[in-house]
Amino acid sequence: MATPHQTQPGLLSRLNKGLIPVEDTANLLAAAAIMALMFLGVLQVLLRTVFNSPIDGYIDLVELSMASMAFLGAAYTQRMGSHIRMELLMSRLHGRALWAVEAFGAAVAMFVIGVLIYYSYGHFLRAYTLGDTTIDAEYVTWPSKLLVPVAFAIWWGRLALQFFGALRLVVNPHRDTVAVVVMKDVAEQAQDEIHEVMGDDADLADPGTDPGDTP
Amino acid sequence: MIIGIGMSDPFLVGMITLGLLLLLIVLGVRVVFAAAIVGLLGLVELRGWGPAAGIVGTVPHSKSSAYALSVLPMFIFIGFLAFHAGMTQQLFDAARKWLGWMPGGLAVATVFATAGFAAVSGASTATAAVFSRVAIPEMLKYGYDRRMAAGVVASAGTLATLIPPSAILVIYAIIVEQSVGKLLLAGFLPGIFSAFVYAGIIVVWAMIKPGSAPSVRGFTWGERMRTLPGISPILLVVVIIMTAIYGGWATPTEAGALGAFVVFVLAILRGTHLKSIKDSLMESAKLTVMIFSLIWGVLIFVRFLGFSGIPGAFTEWIVGLDVSPMTIMICILLAYAVLGMFMDAIGMLLLTLPVVYPAVIALGFDPIWFGIIAVKMAEVCLITPPIGLNCFVVNGVRPDIPLGTVFRGVALFFVADVITIAALLMFPEIVTWLPNFDFAAWWDGLWAATS
Repeated sequence: MATPHQTQPGLLSRLNKGLIPVEDTANLLAAAAIMALMFLGVLQVLLRTVFNSPIDGYIDLVELSMASMAFLGAAYTQRMGSHIRMELLMSRLHGRALWAVEAFGAAVAMFVIGVLIYYSYGHFLRAYTLGDTTIDAEYVTWPSKLLVPVAFAIWWGRLALQFFGALRLVVNPHRDTVAVVVMKDVAEQAQDEIHEVMGDDADLADPGTDPGDTP
Repeated sequence: MIIGIGMSDPFLVGMITLGLLLLLIVLGVRVVFAAAIVGLLGLVELRGWGPAAGIVGTVPHSKSSAYALSVLPMFIFIGFLAFHAGMTQQLFDAARKWLGWMPGGLAVATVFATAGFAAVSGASTATAAVFSRVAIPEMLKYGYDRRMAAGVVASAGTLATLIPPSAILVIYAIIVEQSVGKLLLAGFLPGIFSAFVYAGIIVVWAMIKPGSAPSVRGFTWGERMRTLPGISPILLVVVIIMTAIYGGWATPTEAGALGAFVVFVLAILRGTHLKSIKDSLMESAKLTVMIFSLIWGVLIFVRFLGFSGIPGAFTEWIVGLDVSPMTIMICILLAYAVLGMFMDAIGMLLLTLPVVYPAVIALGFDPIWFGIIAVKMAEVCLITPPIGLNCFVVNGVRPDIPLGTVFRGVALFFVADVITIAALLMFPEIVTWLPNFDFAAWWDGLWAATS
């Protein structure tokens, strides 16, 4: 993710700054759902094996909660450039050509996600109006289904920013990058991997001298 | 674009959309969007806009909320937490004291410490990163050849994807509708087998060139035994996951939750900062959404593929070829090796399996076995040029070891991987024995024999 370095923040930059906390919060909610799934699983095993009284509708609950993990972080992941793609061609492109291809990719994505927002909202609306519930524990399904269009709307917002961010650079490739994913070469990807697991506080004691220490 | 030109031949529409998919992917469109748009357009062509978009609109939610998939966030979370729980140092210390006496002892210890860590992690490159920090300084201190030290770390990282918990094996199981438990069990022996082949080749190398990988002696049995409590949490996670799958006392998701909880408690006890735990969770959420997006994106495409009849036609063509099934299998694996150089293993498998898998099964290969060998193949690409991400990771942690040295170092382990793949091709039992082993009958027999 490029950090905007503009003397006068433009509209794109301001929209970008506005969307980031929304994406972060949505991903944090997904993270909390993962944590909750862990505790729920432990509780379920404990109640079933020790007290012989499993949680009613555990499977239904897990299935409904999965939408939060599967979708809420979509925009955050898009911003980080972590939805996978093949970079064979793109890594050879520079300047206008590169940003044109980036804009094309974002346009394709906006179309698909746009269609999905509309029709997944329909999917939610049917569940809501019919009062659809899970078969076993009879939990209502609409809150879970509503997460899809909501999460996809944030995702679409991110895609739109990336689209306009790329178009802006097609017009003038020498401007600062705003709201676009700056492609990384393999060495930079490797650095990302290292940071993901070691973070700022890698708690690994170093047994020897390590001139290659990474920050 | 093909919309609205009124093509009614599903096969033709299928071929055109496959071409379009390929084009979009080469252009660098993210796989989820490429697969979803091609699936959508194909369905629109065959069914009309309303019904097609209606079908497509339900896929993300309905396909993502399958209970079997809920194991993925748990396994991913275990992996990220494990790095913060700091178990790598203790594992390496234990392996060093138990195995250091062997020729190339520290490198052998690295292999088995990594294999042990693979039991709590499914991430190959991340494992290579942490062991670069833990094992390389120690090996260099004892005068190990830099190629050996860097090569073993980069290569042994790949063990993580075969030894459970492994996210990629869960994904394979779900896409091809096989048992998640069986796939996870099936990865265990080939993972251990790979580790032994790595160790074997290190020992042979160290005996030929003793100066390049000396042994480390002088540890007492007391010292060795004292390393065991430190690595016991990993053993606990292995026991929980394996016995849950075998004995059926918990679902893979519940076993994953318990495993994550063990590592979580360990991380708390070791004083891991709350921020690190939050970071692990944020990273887990990111990886989870990436994988789920791929799954539903590809499933939209698969929805259309079913209508097109392409998988059936491909299968018919493959089966009709006048070549032995094994030759075809080797060609498929070589194609995976080439593809794997340019694409992430999960994306590569998800995109190709809907067409390739039915053909492989029609040729008479075991579905579980194919999953393991395809994943092993994809892993080899992590240590081969031109991408070889694991090698870049080692170089990233240790910039003092040039990339060329790392790549030269992994050459030896590439040979080991070729040996492993050949062995898996010749003796499929290495894969299929454990998942098909009837533990209950064996246990009953044991009881009958003793009483």
